[in-house]
Amino acid sequence: MSEHDQTLTYDDVVANLDDLPSLPAVVMELLTSIDQDNIDISVLARKVSHDQALTAKTLRLANSSLYGLQVRVTTIQQAITYLGFQTTRNLITAAAVTGGFTTSQCPAFDHQAFWRHSVASAACAKVLARQVRFNQDYAFTAGLLHDIGRLVLVSCFPQHYARVLEYRSEHDCYLLDAERAVLGIDHVAAGLALAEHWNFSDTMRLAIAGHHDPAAPGASFLAAIVHVADAVAHALDLSGPEDDLVPPVSTVAWSALGLDQDAFLQLFRETELQYEEISMVLLATN
Amino acid sequence: MTASYQHLALAQVQVGMILSDELLDVQGQILLPQGTVLTAAMLALMPRHGISMLAVLAPAESPEQQAAARLHRKQRLDHLFRRHDADSIADADWASTLLRNYVAHFRLGDTEAP
Repeated sequence: MSEHDQTLTYDDVVANLDDLPSLPAVVMELLTSIDQDNIDISVLARKVSHDQALTAKTLRLANSSLYGLQVRVTTIQQAITYLGFQTTRNLITAAAVTGGFTTSQCPAFDHQAFWRHSVASAACAKVLARQVRFNQDYAFTAGLLHDIGRLVLVSCFPQHYARVLEYRSEHDCYLLDAERAVLGIDHVAAGLALAEHWNFSDTMRLAIAGHHDPAAPGASFLAAIVHVADAVAHALDLSGPEDDLVPPVSTVAWSALGLDQDAFLQLFRETELQYEEISMVLLATN
Repeated sequence: MTASYQHLALAQVQVGMILSDELLDVQGQILLPQGTVLTAAMLALMPRHGISMLAVLAPAESPEQQAAARLHRKQRLDHLFRRHDADSIADADWASTLLRNYVAHFRLGDTEAP
């Protein structure tokens, strides 16, 4: 990668991943083990409790109306008791990841809007998952992390990404196409590089890989859920940047969900409500 | 539930606003019926019941204001979908067309011809 060459390769991205801020060790452990159920819960609860900011954010989420708890949980152990291990793990991850990156090197990048969109996609994916009887915790986390590659590109290559944003507004095209045109690599590849580096589970990896192309052979059902959730979050205008664009919706993903108009109207309503509540907790300090 | 309600954080709710739905506590018991005019005393008690948001009726708007707001929402929607050709006869993009129609129905209360 030379100073004047604008394009990046997958290896350039991988070589720079070590410069990213690292997540708390316990969160890394959670992300790598999302497919496993045999983790020692009491050890986990104790580890998380050492991080007070993380604990506070997690408990606020757990106590939000999203989960409709009849009691107020005050410890991670209690959250696990009432919400289950999967859901609590999911909340801890969400609380940790939304605050883990700085993008101040690239002022043109709208950090707030990025996270608003990620939270909106997560909320929508969670509701969608319930409607199609898929694991809601996977859907929420995948929705939250689907564009994480964008943060990798912005954090590691801020000048490059500034040119991507310029190109996008000049051509008024999709950000994905601007990335490919300027960098020769897109946020999907960067997200996969990070997923590899951080040892994400295969479930998350497949969802990140397929969220723009859920019709590709081998793409997962979760990729279809995240793909539609992404489009719905844009269409509902929840992140709100002036020049936002709704991405094209894959007919394969749309059909795979098999939902009718009433189901979508219900989805819009619930997504808006949940988005309000989750973003108040997760994005409060950003 | 009507189209003209808004979900507000407790801090934004003002005395005199009207509940758009009945208000339940965490046990599902009715605290206040639908249509209650909120008083300062009621609002002060909300945190004790673990309530942080309320659904209240949106203030009545004149027909002109409503029409302007509706037009604004329609323009915003057209802007968001500006890369999507609503009149396209190509079947390949029918999922985008459906999404657009559903969101239009949700935001504007009608369906646009595909």
